[in-house]
Amino acid sequence: MSAEIIKFFIFPGGVFAVVLGLVLISIERILVARFQGRVGPVFYQNIIDVIKLFNKETLIPKDAKDFIFKFAPLFGFSGMLVMVYFLPIPGVYEGVKGDYDLIILIYFMALPAISHILGGGASSSPYAAISVSRELKLMLVYEFVFIIVALTLAVYVGGGSGEFSLKKIMDYQIQNGCFLFDWKLWPAFIAFLIFVLATLEVPPFEVAHHNHADIMEGYLIEYSGAPLGMFEITDALKIVVLSIIFQIFFFPSVIGDDVMINLFWFLIKTLFLVGFIALAHASLASFRADQEFKFLIRVPVVLAFVSLILVILSVKGLI
Amino acid sequence: MSIITRSPFLFRINTGSCNGCDVELATTAMIPRYDVERLGCRYTGSPKHADILLVTGPITARSKPYLLEVLDELPNPFVVVAVGTCPTSCGIFRDSYSIEGPLDKYVKVDVNVPGCPPRPQAIIDGVAKALEIWKQKIRDIK
Repeated sequence: MSAEIIKFFIFPGGVFAVVLGLVLISIERILVARFQGRVGPVFYQNIIDVIKLFNKETLIPKDAKDFIFKFAPLFGFSGMLVMVYFLPIPGVYEGVKGDYDLIILIYFMALPAISHILGGGASSSPYAAISVSRELKLMLVYEFVFIIVALTLAVYVGGGSGEFSLKKIMDYQIQNGCFLFDWKLWPAFIAFLIFVLATLEVPPFEVAHHNHADIMEGYLIEYSGAPLGMFEITDALKIVVLSIIFQIFFFPSVIGDDVMINLFWFLIKTLFLVGFIALAHASLASFRADQEFKFLIRVPVVLAFVSLILVILSVKGLI
Repeated sequence: MSIITRSPFLFRINTGSCNGCDVELATTAMIPRYDVERLGCRYTGSPKHADILLVTGPITARSKPYLLEVLDELPNPFVVVAVGTCPTSCGIFRDSYSIEGPLDKYVKVDVNVPGCPPRPQAIIDGVAKALEIWKQKIRDIK
């Protein structure tokens, strides 16, 4: 029992995931700065930010729904915290071995966006209302992309019947080669990368919480102090969870049996994903809400479906 | 507690400025050469996140209520930086019928960055001075 508590609160969940996530976000900021020819902040900048936010005064608007406004950040935070405990890390951590954890993963990935929607909706600001409506529209599409990608992998591993255990998806790839090197899943891989950018709300999908343009931080506009810090921590955990999902879905390669070496290898793969996010952040401009919606519905959905069709054909033995 | 003074969030408000100072502020935020992020700063979109308020412009009658609202919304402790000559002394707009400045009628100004417009280096220096004052204010509250 106490071993499970350590797994939940210290490693790989809890403290380790929060610190890793905050450092990853800071590294992303540094990389964006370097791409632009600046120096950028220190690598622990976001940890300082969160400590400061927890020490600051919390303001609550007069018209806000008090209870939901205060506790909305906890939805996303608790969802992501559970997910880090729940998911297996290739070669490092076994995870909770369930037969249907892919479906639970699909549900939990929507929780941070739901906490944004609840918090923004309860804060009584018109900017937050606009941002919430944009976030809702986009969420409909990018969650759909994620579901199709997950379904594609389930069909591929299950040989036509659907295999919803993440552990088995991982073991299949360790035996038969990673999906990253399988041409049938390359469209799904690109769709997944677009999903990562969209769900993290980095440019070009920043429209729900721009801070230099029309919407002034969107759903975060009325937040200050500790709840804002909770949102920052949720973003940090989300980047860790997305990196773990990326590795389970497409690249669960392990080096030997040693946990430390595999942890190091996990961190290197995570850094590559963060580098990709920073490159997109630094090089792409932001879409408008309608452009973003159309792009998401045209490109990643179609790519994911192409992959699904290829996988069904290959399962049937036609290619 | 000294570690938290390395994470100031900035908010800028234009109170009827001619945009000269705003362009200089944008250069400190966005273009490669002048990097305010290495002090740990981050531009935010909401005054409720901010620790340092950067004010440009001579405070016109039209923009005064918005300035007062922003000053109400800042969580304590905060530091006010007047960027450019206008918020410091109203500059060439002084004694105009529509000007309600200067800024220190409404709030205690901690740092003045004079210039029309000030150079980006001067603004970054002003932010660095504001950081020292902010540190002192946090110590006083404790």
